[in-house]
Amino acid sequence: MTKTTARKVEVDPITLSVVRGILETTQREMTLSLEKTARSSVFNLAHDYSTALFNHRPEMILQGQDIPIHLGSLIPAMKVVAKYFDGEIHEGDLIIHNDPAWGGSHAIDTCFYRPVFWQGRLKYWTVCKGHLTDVGGPVPAGYNPNAKEIYAECLRIPPVKVWDRGQPRKDVLNLLLTNMRARRDQEGDFNALIGACQVGERALLAMLEKYGEEQVDACIDMLLDMAEKQMRGLIAAVPDGSYEGMAILEDAGHGFGDFEIRAKVTIKGDSCHIAISSPPQIPYFINSYEGNSHSGVYLGLMMFAQLPPPYNEGLYRCVTVDFGPKGTICNAQEPAPHMNCTTTPMETLTDAVRLAFEKAVPSKVSASWGHANGLNIAGWDKRHDEEYVTMVLATIISGAGATPSQDGWHACGPECCFGALTSGDVELLEYSYPIIIHRYSLMEDSGGAGKFRGGSGTAWEVEPLNDDMTFITFGEGRRIPAVGAAGAASTITDTKVGRLELVKGGQSRTIRENVIEVIKPGDRITNMNPGGGGYGNPMERAVESVLSDVKNGLVSVRGAREDYGVIITDPATLAVDRDATESLRAKRRAVAAK
Amino acid sequence: MKSEYRLGIDAGGTFTDFVLADKSGQVRLFKALSTPQDPTLAIRNGLALISEELGVPATEIIPGCDLCINGTTVGLNALIQHKGAKTGLICTAGHEDSLEIRLGHKEDGYRYDPEYPPATMLVPRYLRRGVSERVLSTGEVRTPLNEADVRAACELFLAEGVETVAISFVWSVLHPEHERRAGEIVREMMPGAILTLGSELYPQVREYTRTSTAVVNAYLAPIMKRYVDAVDAWFRSLGAKHPVRYYQSNGGLAIGQAMTDRSVYAINSGPASAPAAGQYVCEPFGKKDVITVDMGGTSFDITLTKDGSTNISKNIDFLRYRIGVPMIQVETLGAGGGSIGWIDEMGLMQMGPQSAGSDPGPACYGQGGTLPTVSDANLTLGYLNPEGLVGGRLPLDAGKARGAIEKALAEPLGMSVERAAYGMFTIVNANMVNGIRRVTVERGYDPRDFVLVGAGGATAAHITALADAMGIDTIVLPKLASGLCAFGQIISDVKYNYMATAPLRLESDAAYARIDELFGQIEAQGLEHLKADGFGGANTRVKRSLDMRYVGQVHECTVEIDTFKVDASSIGRIIEAFHKRHEQLYTYSEPHSVVEVVNLESTVYGLVDKPGRTVLPPGKGAASAIKAHRDAVFSADGARVKTPIYDGGRLGAGDSVAGPAVIEEVTTTIVVEPGWTAKLDASGSYLITRGAA
Repeated sequence: MTKTTARKVEVDPITLSVVRGILETTQREMTLSLEKTARSSVFNLAHDYSTALFNHRPEMILQGQDIPIHLGSLIPAMKVVAKYFDGEIHEGDLIIHNDPAWGGSHAIDTCFYRPVFWQGRLKYWTVCKGHLTDVGGPVPAGYNPNAKEIYAECLRIPPVKVWDRGQPRKDVLNLLLTNMRARRDQEGDFNALIGACQVGERALLAMLEKYGEEQVDACIDMLLDMAEKQMRGLIAAVPDGSYEGMAILEDAGHGFGDFEIRAKVTIKGDSCHIAISSPPQIPYFINSYEGNSHSGVYLGLMMFAQLPPPYNEGLYRCVTVDFGPKGTICNAQEPAPHMNCTTTPMETLTDAVRLAFEKAVPSKVSASWGHANGLNIAGWDKRHDEEYVTMVLATIISGAGATPSQDGWHACGPECCFGALTSGDVELLEYSYPIIIHRYSLMEDSGGAGKFRGGSGTAWEVEPLNDDMTFITFGEGRRIPAVGAAGAASTITDTKVGRLELVKGGQSRTIRENVIEVIKPGDRITNMNPGGGGYGNPMERAVESVLSDVKNGLVSVRGAREDYGVIITDPATLAVDRDATESLRAKRRAVAAK
Repeated sequence: MKSEYRLGIDAGGTFTDFVLADKSGQVRLFKALSTPQDPTLAIRNGLALISEELGVPATEIIPGCDLCINGTTVGLNALIQHKGAKTGLICTAGHEDSLEIRLGHKEDGYRYDPEYPPATMLVPRYLRRGVSERVLSTGEVRTPLNEADVRAACELFLAEGVETVAISFVWSVLHPEHERRAGEIVREMMPGAILTLGSELYPQVREYTRTSTAVVNAYLAPIMKRYVDAVDAWFRSLGAKHPVRYYQSNGGLAIGQAMTDRSVYAINSGPASAPAAGQYVCEPFGKKDVITVDMGGTSFDITLTKDGSTNISKNIDFLRYRIGVPMIQVETLGAGGGSIGWIDEMGLMQMGPQSAGSDPGPACYGQGGTLPTVSDANLTLGYLNPEGLVGGRLPLDAGKARGAIEKALAEPLGMSVERAAYGMFTIVNANMVNGIRRVTVERGYDPRDFVLVGAGGATAAHITALADAMGIDTIVLPKLASGLCAFGQIISDVKYNYMATAPLRLESDAAYARIDELFGQIEAQGLEHLKADGFGGANTRVKRSLDMRYVGQVHECTVEIDTFKVDASSIGRIIEAFHKRHEQLYTYSEPHSVVEVVNLESTVYGLVDKPGRTVLPPGKGAASAIKAHRDAVFSADGARVKTPIYDGGRLGAGDSVAGPAVIEEVTTTIVVEPGWTAKLDASGSYLITRGAA
């Protein structure tokens, strides 16, 4: 039942539409401001940031369109921050925070919270969160596969005021920045995040000025209630019952073996309870604290709900989540190391939730997207005699999952970002960092086979320009391909998973673990990303679609035969043996039916 | 203007507008139905209308024109419908897929939509051929061009019937020789093909943008060439003394050859003349900061001009394709007279972007439309004349309008038809206000500092309410509003953009000297081009801009500068201008950070003399122009107020109308909200201001 907020003022339905538009426009202005001003390529090229608006309670009143992985996690984080400073929040304050034990996602994602005051009272919070290029610690860019504890990862920042009543706390800012590499970039990014918070503040105050506090308050409460009603409607349409999903988190080199993550979705009327179970946390950087795990669950929920924007916290009122006992991979506690958590185990957690919903509503499902496995790079830029360090988001662009109506998008993942990233122009990356990008391309046979094919993953091949370069690998999805839907399955799997090909000192080798290595000019590392999962039985894919993929180099002649049962007799003309194809497909369909 | 006539022809989705100015300053507006299947047909039909009205054959009018100007949607339509020519791309091996990877991004707003399709590829993957070659970010050649690879690509293209070829290599902007050599090979092996080189068309950093721009250009070039050849030939046959000028998305004129070489410059030319027209109609009032809004049947276009210079977009996604070349920034929303009102999944009323278009059209057109549109709301509110638009040529059915609103909106929301109609009016206005914020607030401008100018047939009913909602005090609404874009074309100058790339930190004399040298080089090229077009000396003008940022940022701010020598003594002016612009846009600047330049651009203008201005005779007082009264709605409660209806044709210069009022012109209807006053100026525009006369 809808927990309608008591309202004193009657809401004018027209003003309601107008206020919603203003909130969306405000968030958009914050986002643009961040993108245009940030230094870190992870922000400005890759859009690995998010902005959100909260009311004074604080409930999220507008969630941006940005990276899914950030936004669910802002809900608990904002509450922790507001509670910590309860009674001490003043006009002109600005709070920074990154720590997962204080509701954050992973500590490289640093968040600024700006309380917005109206006539002396706290009305809103404008919040910006972004992936900095470095927050200190032993390994550049924060991803330390050798960390056994969170203390060995980076500088932890619990909620701290960096501005107090309009006055910057120079000593505090200096303490933070002194602990970070490439200080100039981090300082610029602080400015960008703060600027965006102010842009949001400016717009919210103008809205109050124009429409009046009472009416705006009533509209915002109404928008929260309406979102709740909408989600309840979707959930009520699902038959009551419990549905379980399980996905495997592969061992990416830690040696503890593969893990199972399970989600049990229980639908009762118009509410939904999601219970997660995961194994005990391990001394390796893939543990997820509760804030981050919320994002993983919410993404799985949104893959089912498929709602258009705008989004607010009302959507989640009818959803309760239980992450199980503390001290597990999906409900980590200190001192668990965690830096890789926004991709791993988050994407596996999302898959488990998605698979549970697939059982509940088989008609409304999308296949899993390729998981993230990527590179961070660091070294000395001789061109300007300065240090560089960055996560390269161009290295994690995987294929999207297919849906009941179409092939998955190529190069649109990873799953945790759902198309919100941008990978950055090859020339801008080469200008910003001393590297040569030899290849940035789609990959043959990488999309999961299905009646609708998964999107192609990408390969990103790099060589250092003129000096040694350290690379650090993270993520997984290098052994288990993206999970298909509605009976999709691939025969060839080695080309559908992520992996790295290293050519070092003339020797080649394939890497499937998370490592730190140094390479020299002349050496090359190629990061390959998985394709998306397919949808439906690949033997039902139209032969013409398979041939078009072969013509365009997305499926090989061998792939056509093994994955799709299409026998091409002449690779030059793409002539097909129709009879042999039909009988092979019939045979394979019969096997699938068993 | 020395010649007898000047003609502007602006093709729109529904109508093609013809504006004919004569020596006396008189400007006439004609409209013919657009003919997308054969765009030259609409031109012939329009010329026939003009001949009939003037009683002068086209073979006398056309030779009497100093300029015939055509704004065309041929390129735009080909891009929308994916009906360009078969195109091949030659690119650096390893980078064949940047067009399809599209930076790995899915557009915002469709994050969880399982049915939103990927963008259609203008060049399929098998026609994107990588060749061995590589230039580094330092400009150094790492791998020389492998000519055999280029030849192999040409052989494939010949076998596949490719008509047009784009060549775009990584870092070709720093070393264009590889593209040039590859181009020579293509010309030799494919003499019939049209060729586009990325480094010539768009010499700026960003491989994806440059490749995509080159591909769009190549894709449209054969289509544009066929069109331009046909129009040029038609006008020559009518005895035209000068080549036809075509309107570009950068807000300037170009000759036909330039439209073929740079077809990508033609794709959004329709609304691009609005700023020029907006400035022109505001001149008599001494206003230079202008927002022009143009509401047609399906869309609402916004442009902005500040201190005489117009917002420009570069490196944007246009119809899902990345385009680098400068275009007049046009913010387009799905908000027009045909925009449909509906109730969304959350139960909120929404307007558009779906439109009833012209077929079936709004319910009140009585052509079978059953969904409530903005026009239906405006009719129900008493703004539009139920006897019909365009002097009764388009009759309206008030009953159908009410019925549609009642069924789709008023009943489900439990409100009166009047309240629902006023809600539709309010929401579509709010959408437009949010759109205007995108060209103002997001660009660091306060909309309240601007004059709002109305163009397009449907704008005048909304413009006072828009200004009211945004805190804007002054509106200029020309009687000619519905043909204002065509008018903007005949007062525009010839304009070409020249660009260069120069990633340089502003900390050395060598950097300043390089910038100065590059400006010199591109301006020499531009002036040469203008000379070939017949412009020189006092008839030319140059404007400069630099794309700048703090070291470490990757997005630039465009800063306009005067044409002075760039050196150690003048660089401070440039850097200061950048800090100022950054603060304006993003609330802060970093005066101690190092600034770098990335791209520079010079715009060269060939100045065209302007037609004389219209002078209206003085009026006899507005009261004599009242032709009727209607009960109209001006408030959210839906209350009706007896409102005077003025015949615009009977108003003269100096006549003043206090709101609430409706002024009916032949091709537009002006709603003057309560608390506003409209005064007709001798220049042919209404000056609408807040407050009593």
